[in-house]
Amino acid sequence: MGKVREAIMPIFNPDIETMDRRELLELQNERLQIVINQAYSNVDFYRRKFDEAGLNPDDIKTLDDLKKIPFTTRKDLMENYPYGMFAVPLRDVVCLQFPLGLYGNPIVIGYTRKDLEVWRELVARIMVGIGINEHDIIQVAFNYGLFLGAIRFNQSAELIGAAVVPTSIASAEVQLRIMQDFRSTVLASTPSFALHIMETMQKKGVAPQSLSLKIGLLGAEPWSEEVQKLLEESLGVKAYDIYGVMELVEPGVAGECTARSGLHIFEDHFFPEVIDPVSGKVLGAGREGELVLTTLTTTAYPLLRYRTSDLTTLHTEPCSCGRTLARMDRVLKRADKMISVRGINVFPEKIEEVLANIEGVGPGYSTTVTKKQGMNDQLKVSIQTSSAILEGKEDRKTGLQESLQLALRRAIGLRVEVELIKRQEKD
Amino acid sequence: MLKIKNIDAFFGKIQVLRHVTLHVGAGEIVSLIGANGAGKTTLLNVISGLHRSWNGSRVFLEVETRGWRPERIVGLGLIQVPENEKVFTPLTVLENLELGAFLRRPSRGILQHELEGVWGQFPILRERKDQAAGTLSGGERQMLALAKALMGKPKMIMADEPSLGLAPTVVSEIFRIIRSLNEKGTTILLVEQNAKEALRISRRAYVMDTGRVLLTGTGEDLLNNEEVKRAFLGKDYHGKWER
Repeated sequence: MGKVREAIMPIFNPDIETMDRRELLELQNERLQIVINQAYSNVDFYRRKFDEAGLNPDDIKTLDDLKKIPFTTRKDLMENYPYGMFAVPLRDVVCLQFPLGLYGNPIVIGYTRKDLEVWRELVARIMVGIGINEHDIIQVAFNYGLFLGAIRFNQSAELIGAAVVPTSIASAEVQLRIMQDFRSTVLASTPSFALHIMETMQKKGVAPQSLSLKIGLLGAEPWSEEVQKLLEESLGVKAYDIYGVMELVEPGVAGECTARSGLHIFEDHFFPEVIDPVSGKVLGAGREGELVLTTLTTTAYPLLRYRTSDLTTLHTEPCSCGRTLARMDRVLKRADKMISVRGINVFPEKIEEVLANIEGVGPGYSTTVTKKQGMNDQLKVSIQTSSAILEGKEDRKTGLQESLQLALRRAIGLRVEVELIKRQEKD
Repeated sequence: MLKIKNIDAFFGKIQVLRHVTLHVGAGEIVSLIGANGAGKTTLLNVISGLHRSWNGSRVFLEVETRGWRPERIVGLGLIQVPENEKVFTPLTVLENLELGAFLRRPSRGILQHELEGVWGQFPILRERKDQAAGTLSGGERQMLALAKALMGKPKMIMADEPSLGLAPTVVSEIFRIIRSLNEKGTTILLVEQNAKEALRISRRAYVMDTGRVLLTGTGEDLLNNEEVKRAFLGKDYHGKWER
């Protein structure tokens, strides 16, 4: 049976996903003119940026000219908070997303009804591409509060007629119980949570054969092929990687297919480039660098050459699944200092901010991450503390430790271990 | 079917089209909407070969037609129905239709057969066949213009403002005819000020402004697009923060 399903290799939007690459390029060029015109005429930030660079929208004739446009960075998004990057008036926006972990320098991303429609299709493309259909029951064990994209699984599943069980942050025991009782066939979660479920299964002696699981739809943090193998063996699933970018759509930028030779990027909506993170030079296919994306159809929050900080390699040869869309290698490394712990992105700036607001600590600190099955599991922050505190009363130290722990948890959404270490006092 | 890439067009030194890139697939109805002076008619004239001063690429049926004269483009199956002077007013309806087939030089028998087809589609034209085209009403003239284009056996028709100056009931009749031509296999590129009606019958559409393509989407998408509503359907707004 499995063979038949794989041989068919279902494709949600074959017109696009298997489009001749020359035609795809024409479609991208056609869409690019609109994105550039919209960004320049509706987003002050881009008009300024073009003018400063001595660029006119007329200078961008084809995708080759894209490299003339300066990059957009997360800093730009923060500086133009809240609505400075919007290309449409607020009236057209139907969803405002406020990614967690960035309280001090927030960003807000808007979506029009059309943007959400596109997003829904993209996640449906991923689902169909890995064999999910109307007979499946998808258990979504992503944290709906922290991972704002989780709700997209519901909407895309609806599009293809699959059922969704949003188990969200239920404990592994409850997840397992639901998985058994409801006969869930797909688990959507972070790879680390899938590992946690796996351990719970082993502890309770639950055999994978007793479950109906077939597919793991995993992502939102880096995970190696070893972890993939381990999960497949112990959960009895095929585990696939999905990729998204918080500032565009997450999930929904790219997804693995059953051929598993990288993640297909939805190039009809996002134009990918890979650059040298230091020099900014564009690298060709086959070379590792930082992924830079330009939105081609996004109406509310268009981004031109957005630096994702994710390191990957692009491949443009056709895939054996029949798709012609370019593939990217799974993202295992970052170009910045962000670390991902159990699917939660921790930006060093957040830690610095917390420390700046508490007297007697920082600014020096270091982080260590303990690993489980090769995945980041526990974050420990060692914080330099004034000697007055360190040599002071024990309960004051514990109190400080606790308030730091709370503040960090609030700021980054993750329980961290806090260690107070001696501050290198300047003489 | 038609692929236009990076078209710049000029009136003397004034640039009226800026890097216009768009395509029309076989069997589609695609609309170009936009305010007066957006460059829609110029674009049609570039495509049909009437406007000479342009750069870029113009591919019809996979053939690059750069440098082609208008009649050669018509020969390939691309026929424009212009906004004004769409029929020869001193000639009769029948003569107009015969002229529509001129480039193909069909035999009498074939011509007669084709005319029967036209009469079936436009019964009013049969009634008026010996009348001078100049004596027809606006709606009838528009029908004659479309029928004349059909006599050229086009693969694609470009209609420029077919509803202009017509009474509302006649407008819906013209749009009904355009849709039925499309259903019979003719690809249509439609330029319209009447955005609402045009978007309703279009598979896809492009919105142009000051010589550029500003938006694209399905007809339905654009009907619901706030920017289109504001610009063409008479809804307005007062700033970014307004809800």
